[in-house]
Amino acid sequence: MKIPTNWEHETKLPLVTSCKQAARLVSISVERNLSIREFLSMRIHLWMCKTCTRYRNQMKALRNIFLHHEEVLDNVPASVEECLDQQAKEKIKAKLLKKA
Amino acid sequence: MKSSKENNNFPSKISDPETWVESHGDYLFRYALMRLRNRESAENMVQETFLAALTARNSFSGRSSERTWLVGILKHKIIDQYRKSFREKPISQIQTEEEQTVDQFYDAMENPKGYPKDWMPDPVKVLHSKEFWGIFKGCLGHLPERTASAFSMREMDGMDTDEICKELGISPTNLWVMLHRARLQLRACLEQNWFEKK
Repeated sequence: MKIPTNWEHETKLPLVTSCKQAARLVSISVERNLSIREFLSMRIHLWMCKTCTRYRNQMKALRNIFLHHEEVLDNVPASVEECLDQQAKEKIKAKLLKKA
Repeated sequence: MKSSKENNNFPSKISDPETWVESHGDYLFRYALMRLRNRESAENMVQETFLAALTARNSFSGRSSERTWLVGILKHKIIDQYRKSFREKPISQIQTEEEQTVDQFYDAMENPKGYPKDWMPDPVKVLHSKEFWGIFKGCLGHLPERTASAFSMREMDGMDTDEICKELGISPTNLWVMLHRARLQLRACLEQNWFEKK
């Protein structure tokens, strides 16, 4: 039996759901409020399942990494691949000069 | 637009455009590269930004720093670029493709393939390590282009569903499926290339 994978508000979701569905609900919960049904499905699953709890925590960690990314741009020195090469710099300078 | 404005004493004045490339070029390039994951596109974006800034330099109010002003222009250019790439392929294809990718992480019983490892140490603590950062960027680069674009808007620029959908001309469901896929894929990639090797 295939459980519906509706991303809009869901009313017919089984209360006991699979890991795949639980992960999906974790992801949706970041994007919008869950319906009561969805929320209960997710909580019940996480309460029973260590794997998905760990998965949920990793999703939080992932979001945290992104929250800090600009700080990294300011503090971690750029590698050579992250810099414009001399040729590109000259090219851009020439274009600017031409337009000015 | 060349009025007496130029003679006013603004809190901070714009520098000579000839110095822009040396003083901001690398910063803007890195910023763009992070979001576009392609040197050539990032270079183009930096160039476009400087050219647009040159035209608009009289409107620089000096309320923010010159760099913040340039980053603001660059952000718009990058979103334009995303928008173009979303127009190239019908959106109806996205959802089926994305659902299939999500499926590859689960078996027939909808259980995950493989138990997630304990992420030690906490990724936020290793964030400033060059090695971790390199792997993180590598993993982002493995996402399909449009998935990564939508993900960047959401996670790096902190835009919300409505804004992103409006910019890219997609439905919330399209977006959420893409974001979910991106999260699953990034998680797996980071685990494999960083946490399992520590």
